[in-house]
Amino acid sequence: MDTMKSFLKEVLGGLAVDYADIRVEETEGSGVIYRGRSLDDVRRSFERGGCFRIFHRGNWGVATFNNIDENLKGLAKEVASEIELLPPRNETLVALGPFEDTVRIRPEDDPRRISLTEKRSLLRHYNDIILGNKGIATTVSVYQDSYKHVVFYSTDDRSLDQETVYTGFACRAVARDGNNIQDYSDSFGKTQGFDSLKHREPMCERIAKVAIDLLKAEPVPAGKYTVVIDPLLAGVFAHEAFGHLSEADHIADNERLKEMMKTGTRFGVDELTIVDDATMPNERGSYRYDDEGAASERTELVRHGILVGHLHNRQTAQQMNELPTGNSRAISYRFPPIVRMSNTFIESRSTRLHDMMDSLESGLYVVGSRGGMTELESFTFSSQYAYLVEHGRKTRMVRNVTLSGNVFETLKNIEAIGDDLTIFGGIGGCGKGGQAPLPVGLGAPHVKIRNVLIGGK
Amino acid sequence: MEQKILALANRRADAAEVFGEEADRTVVEFRGGKLHSQETRLTRGYGLRVIKDGKIGFCSSTDPDRINELTDAALDTSVLGKPAQFEFPEAEKGPEVKVFDNRVMLVSVRRMVNWGKNLIDIMHARVPDVKLDLTFTRTYREIKVKNSSGLDVGFERAEFDLWITGLLVDGGLVWIPDYVNLSNGHPLQFEPLADRLERQAKVAKQKAKLTSGTYPVIVMPTALPSMLVALKFGVNGKQREKGTSPLIGKEDEKILDENLTILDNPLHSFGLASSPFDGEGVARHRNVLFDKGVFKGFLFDLATAAACKCECTASARRGYSRPPVPDITNFEITSGKNDFEKLVQETKEGLLVYEFLGGGQSNIMAGDINLNVTSGFKIEGGEIVGRVKDVMVTGNLYKMLEKVEVGSAQQDLGNYFLPFVRFPALKVATKE
Repeated sequence: MDTMKSFLKEVLGGLAVDYADIRVEETEGSGVIYRGRSLDDVRRSFERGGCFRIFHRGNWGVATFNNIDENLKGLAKEVASEIELLPPRNETLVALGPFEDTVRIRPEDDPRRISLTEKRSLLRHYNDIILGNKGIATTVSVYQDSYKHVVFYSTDDRSLDQETVYTGFACRAVARDGNNIQDYSDSFGKTQGFDSLKHREPMCERIAKVAIDLLKAEPVPAGKYTVVIDPLLAGVFAHEAFGHLSEADHIADNERLKEMMKTGTRFGVDELTIVDDATMPNERGSYRYDDEGAASERTELVRHGILVGHLHNRQTAQQMNELPTGNSRAISYRFPPIVRMSNTFIESRSTRLHDMMDSLESGLYVVGSRGGMTELESFTFSSQYAYLVEHGRKTRMVRNVTLSGNVFETLKNIEAIGDDLTIFGGIGGCGKGGQAPLPVGLGAPHVKIRNVLIGGK
Repeated sequence: MEQKILALANRRADAAEVFGEEADRTVVEFRGGKLHSQETRLTRGYGLRVIKDGKIGFCSSTDPDRINELTDAALDTSVLGKPAQFEFPEAEKGPEVKVFDNRVMLVSVRRMVNWGKNLIDIMHARVPDVKLDLTFTRTYREIKVKNSSGLDVGFERAEFDLWITGLLVDGGLVWIPDYVNLSNGHPLQFEPLADRLERQAKVAKQKAKLTSGTYPVIVMPTALPSMLVALKFGVNGKQREKGTSPLIGKEDEKILDENLTILDNPLHSFGLASSPFDGEGVARHRNVLFDKGVFKGFLFDLATAAACKCECTASARRGYSRPPVPDITNFEITSGKNDFEKLVQETKEGLLVYEFLGGGQSNIMAGDINLNVTSGFKIEGGEIVGRVKDVMVTGNLYKMLEKVEVGSAQQDLGNYFLPFVRFPALKVATKE
């Protein structure tokens, strides 16, 4: 650490700029993919690279690189002189005092200690469980791990030496009956070691069962519905539809958005509290320090229906005169950090699922997520499947259930929030500004919402 | 370096291939009408694929100090690896394709900043309440492929483009997307771009309502890529190998409207995915995917071609960090005969879409889509009357493409070359 830190200090040392930081990452990863019975891909990688950022007279200059050598000093000077040419802007960064810390993973969590054969065997075991079900045509099963070591230094004398680990797997089952092809997938991932992936057989059984059941499901009739959404889909909603809106880099530069996302504004029912929390132990979106070296935090975004916070980096916190929240993250050294979520969830309340369903005269019970996207207030996300509900009872399974709408209206249309918060990880992540996938966690209890636009047949 | 890695691997593997990638990327970004940042991204990495005892192994690295470990790790993965059903190819001559214009490399950061400011000033004068996000991305890329069969090929490409998103906050948010490919070295033409943005912005200020129903829908080139994801999936040789493409066994069958001729065209001058060789060093050529609606075949790299006992279509896509997979290069729909203004005039009531929000691929294998319209307008009585909100287009892509009319001019979207497409009757779900 000390040698690297001294070198990084030298790279930024000669610059006459307001602020600069540099981080160097070394990552080592492995991956295994099964497609059906065959092992499709086994790979390993070693990456080394870095990113420095220079902030001067309100402008940023950034460079990412693989070569970590004396030439970096020249590159830093070049970038500094390029931003000197840009027109000055009245921007500063929130001040953070000098600091130094070292974060190490537990040795037993290090995936480099586990042989490729052992990783392959676990994945094959899960893949075989799915393939053992009649009606399953094929599978795609993926194992991934990565160990990351980051050394960070900034000119305000903050330095960090941090290790992180990610392991996870995902399985997709494809069921086929003639021309009718349906699929269902699920995944599991943590900032923990290989052992956390064991004993996931029930998840694999469920993946196969749902894919087969979907063969009999009809597309849902399009229209407006009252829906009960499961914790995963509600978590995707919290992340996609609200979390992204809370990222202050969208807001800070735009007066009208600032007005729209002003703290104190009512966004939903009294029961609604939405939180982003990077400090949760072992979750996929957890970390100790972000990529600006700021400590991670638990940030309430909405409390009892009222907007109370935003997610910040050092610049947006200063722009909006709020405190930094430790949400400045990059997917790798190839990118500068931007404002991102960590683990975003809706807090539990008191309604039991049973009571929520009982009060649903006619509507949908919607399960899982095939991903979603937002463009500020507009959102769309696809669920895995749903059931039509009549008089509180699930009847037919339906597919192609895509929800879309306006986030502000939808939050106001929440009728009940359940008592069964669950946080999900996986191996994918969030995409923003060309940076994907960023490891995040998300979750919620069951949530009942009226007047949701559903696309189907 | 590639030679050194290949020499090390050749000593212990039965066959080896090194893919080397070097890139120098400059990104200049404006947000909300203000200069936001400039970035330099320097990349250099290597992917090593080996065949040992008939099985494939792969490892990648950006760390020049760990070159010796690359062979060890690649051989380590080959012990578990997939059987190699192909051999690394020998060298062949690649086609001439324009992918490098030195003028692109001479555009300074300062010039990009000035172009951005000019465009923002022009737009501010015309439509003051539109805030522009601009991203100039210029990349110099050098690719080298060497293998133990003696293949040693490479190329340089200069990629340069501008993404524009206009944001109109007007009692709700409206997105106005546009794109310019600048890889041919010509300077940015401000007026035509500003005209297009202004046209969208002005009509976006009017609000219109559309009730759920079936309407003629004109999908503009900027919106088509989100819609065509399932088709790209369907023609991929990997899906043919896995048995998950709905096009399996349908070669030479008429699948789409006869107005649709769709190409995978790696030879398009200054296309962002154009190149003389694919990621395995095989000489590129055009692949006709649909000829007047008739499906002509899948796209294969070496491994999927061997697995499916088909001919390789030189479709290996890769970066240094991943083994190759088949993929489309530049997606091109041949222009038709239809004039945009005329089709709008002929439409009594319909929808015009400039952008879909992705994520609406509910069953990509079957082609089912539910797309949320983020930039859409109502056409009424032959005129574009205003923007619509909370609108989704739903249906099956393959069915939708059975009957279409195609616009007369292609828009260059970097790695898509597309005209607008008019669908005579699509199901539209709205909150009205």
